[in-house]
Amino acid sequence: MILNLLIGLPDQRPGGLALSVLSAVTAGGCAVVVGILYATACAGAPRLTLVLQGALALLRGIPLLLLIFVLGQFTSLPLPATGFAALALYSLAHVGETLRAYLTTYPQAPRDQARVMAISPVREWLILRIPWTLRRSLDALGTHWISLLKDTGALTVLGIGELTTVARLLSERTDSTQWMVILVTAAALYLVTVVALIRILALAKTRLAGYGM
Amino acid sequence: MVPQVVTQTLGTVTIWLLSAALALSIAVALIAGSLHRHRAPRALADAVITVTRGVPTSLLVVSAGIFAFTRPAPGWLPDPFPGTPASLALVAWAVTVALALGSTGHLAVIFATGYRSIGAARREQSIVLGLDPLRRLRLLTRETAPSTLAPTGARLVHHLHNTAFAALFPVADLFGWVQQRANETFEVGRYAAVGIAGYVALSVLIWAACRGLEHWLRLPATRVAHPAAR
Repeated sequence: MILNLLIGLPDQRPGGLALSVLSAVTAGGCAVVVGILYATACAGAPRLTLVLQGALALLRGIPLLLLIFVLGQFTSLPLPATGFAALALYSLAHVGETLRAYLTTYPQAPRDQARVMAISPVREWLILRIPWTLRRSLDALGTHWISLLKDTGALTVLGIGELTTVARLLSERTDSTQWMVILVTAAALYLVTVVALIRILALAKTRLAGYGM
Repeated sequence: MVPQVVTQTLGTVTIWLLSAALALSIAVALIAGSLHRHRAPRALADAVITVTRGVPTSLLVVSAGIFAFTRPAPGWLPDPFPGTPASLALVAWAVTVALALGSTGHLAVIFATGYRSIGAARREQSIVLGLDPLRRLRLLTRETAPSTLAPTGARLVHHLHNTAFAALFPVADLFGWVQQRANETFEVGRYAAVGIAGYVALSVLIWAACRGLEHWLRLPATRVAHPAAR
């Protein structure tokens, strides 16, 4: 049972917790990269990107389950890819707005210093502005990543074999005394993973503070 | 189609209202527990907060649904869920409780952050005033409202989105209806648009209600202009 919950059912591997973590990390990572580009575009041309900002606000109003369902119906992608795309879009809707909000508060002093030191705008963006924004938004991003890891459970609506789906299938197949054990074990696995993620984020915050960021 | 949408939307609203009210109540109780002077209630409250924050709502709903699905609904159990057969009222209640637990930990953390943000001096003032617990809770709610209402609103919108998990069981809700009608008619775009419009409208209503409450709860002291500004 534990092995199935950790890496998925024998005919659906990688699955279980491994797929949940993989989906969350990949979708969350893609969302941060695209979110930085979105935030940069919004900070550079706020009026020109109003439609984009409106679209992202609309996306935030749509439940992840509905997004997964719609993408599952409209695209011919394999199920894991559809689930991943839905998670990435959902994550982008939240991460993009967070990064935009923090990037717009980037102070004037380091900009002036960069100009005096003849640092090119692209280099300033890469070595000063983006690290500053990521550091400032780490708390908000961390909360979102924890939520995203748990939200991978929504992929169960497409039958993608992540941890919730595996737990659900195993508990439906087993007798009446075992199903609770399976679901409690799955809950414990989520809990341990979330606590580990909280620790990693706290460590990252301390390290970044050590670099004076 | 319109009566069906209305019934299913009412189903979602009912599940949301009941589970959100339950989640808010448990969150307040957990905060009271986590601030208790004895260690045991503090440890218990903190453990419940950690567990409910760490376990996905989807898994809580699946567990509650599987538990209730094979059991008959007791006769005394009220059935406030529009569109859900009375025989499945127990499943609907189980899903509602699971949804509430899914948000409890997050709301408790929001309230705890707000409580800490008002500062030790004002917290002590509220004790020195000698108010009964209910009036003290009311005072503290007003004091912490400016910092807690925005994240609470965001969480309640997320909570609304989580009600879609009810569709994993035969409980009437908007997402379940969208899914069912889209599968039956293959008019995915049409029903998805109805679903998106419904959820976006409800999300905006929650956001607006929280903003309105934020305005209404603003302390009289903050409404008075600063002497220097007069």
